[in-house]
Amino acid sequence: MSLVFKPEETFRGDYTYRNSDAAILRFPFPFPEDRYMYSVNIEPHVRSGPTDAFCRPFDIDEHYIAECRDRALTLEQDPGRCQVLSHMMTAQWDTLELLMENMAADYPEQFSLTKDGDVFGSRWTWINRPLGIEQSFIFGDPDTLPCEPFEYITRQAQGDFAICDQREDNLYLDAGMITSQADWSLEFNVGMNFMEWHGPVPLAHQAGVFERALKYLLMLRLGQPVRRLNWTMSINPRLDTSPESYPEWGPDRASVTVENAGGKVHLRVELQTLWRLPRSNAILFPIRCFLISVEELARVPKWGKRLHRVLSSLPPELVEYKGLTRYLPATLAWLAPLDDGAELATGIGPDITELAPI
Amino acid sequence: MMQSQIVSRPRYRELAAEDTAGVHLLIVEGDTLAPGQMAALAAAFAPVAARLQTWLVSAPATALAPGKVCKLQTVEEAAAAIEAMPEGFGIADRLYLQGTEPFMWSLATVAGRAGLSPSQIRMQHAGSLKRRVWCTHCHQTTENVTTNIVTCTGCGRELLVRDHFSRRLGAFMGVMVDAEAPGEVPKREEVFP
Repeated sequence: MSLVFKPEETFRGDYTYRNSDAAILRFPFPFPEDRYMYSVNIEPHVRSGPTDAFCRPFDIDEHYIAECRDRALTLEQDPGRCQVLSHMMTAQWDTLELLMENMAADYPEQFSLTKDGDVFGSRWTWINRPLGIEQSFIFGDPDTLPCEPFEYITRQAQGDFAICDQREDNLYLDAGMITSQADWSLEFNVGMNFMEWHGPVPLAHQAGVFERALKYLLMLRLGQPVRRLNWTMSINPRLDTSPESYPEWGPDRASVTVENAGGKVHLRVELQTLWRLPRSNAILFPIRCFLISVEELARVPKWGKRLHRVLSSLPPELVEYKGLTRYLPATLAWLAPLDDGAELATGIGPDITELAPI
Repeated sequence: MMQSQIVSRPRYRELAAEDTAGVHLLIVEGDTLAPGQMAALAAAFAPVAARLQTWLVSAPATALAPGKVCKLQTVEEAAAAIEAMPEGFGIADRLYLQGTEPFMWSLATVAGRAGLSPSQIRMQHAGSLKRRVWCTHCHQTTENVTTNIVTCTGCGRELLVRDHFSRRLGAFMGVMVDAEAPGEVPKREEVFP
């Protein structure tokens, strides 16, 4: 997919965010089957996948500029959305290096990174053309950047980022840039271990999902990142659905009708990847958020039908936990006429290469 | 109501002295003491009484405690005393706390900053189940919460008290209960007496 940015899009106020046909077709649809239940659905994060969204280590799409601007707005209102505990400086540099190197390698027209200087090439120059940034700095010296290295690079990337410190056979959420979360608070969760921060998730603890996931993640190896999909739904294409701003977006949940559900209700998919960091041994946890309206999604017939089936068979605990209670009936009523009951192929790909015109 | 399926909530157990430790510091919230509780603590800590310091916070003058006893008025005083400990803590030392959740976590947080790791701290709940509640919207804390819904002392919103607990804040999460339908506030009930 060629990168043509839509810099004027908004994720608040008038909500002008939309997906192009190409963006719809590359969407990471999360449901391989007609029913959904938790699983440790982790797989290697290789340079291929069911749609184009999976194909690069750090995906960048047409919403890049608008998303970076939305993050800056959120941080201006609440600087606490970026927090790093003091022992995480090495992991901050690890993150900056990983992101800069991959972005420059995968999107050479947009980003470049050069390294020179006497001390093992520690003088770096970073160019970010879409955001109009050119920055020279000394790798390892935070005073040579306008802010700390983790904040610096994650202000220039799509999706949220957490860094987990590994100690005592556990992972601790000791740093985060979290401005597009599905209703969890970094301020509340920072410093928690893996079991604590997943505490409120229903059903999964009893199924042993987190124990298995933690065991797996503690063994994560350098150079062998893994990925999984997670999902929820949001009303309006809103990135900042934090608990902090719940009083602002909560009322929207009561505004959904059968008529407006297609445009208002959005599937919110997180492509979560996990990376062992080389110097700190911490784990970087990028959470790339993709938003698509039910109406846009249903332009892929397989996805519209499957979404209807998944949503109508969700366990009540999950409906409640994901906050769908108020608007699920209207959403199902909007989707029902599209579902002819035909058998659908397993897997998450769209199974078409072009969308029918609207 | 004290236990839900949410697993961030700490679990507490009866205090027992660990023989192999170096210095033992026991801090008790005195006004939570039930009859016989101090005697039970004295018995539990008898094997290490020579290396035991007991801080009694807000206790009746007649309370008898094991080890070298020091009496303090408030939890703030106890927190300041931990911060001012000249030698700090060593890796073999243990801190034992007994009292309400806000009391124990106020001190555990300070002790953590003084260098004590979580595995060096033991806690036994006593007294009221009252909670400290942290508002996800204005980030202020409301103390002594015994009801399922509470008015935030910071922003005035009606908060539902969730079982999700942050050890760093020593508090439970409070989330606006009527954000989706303003004014629809469920009945307030005493659930953490």
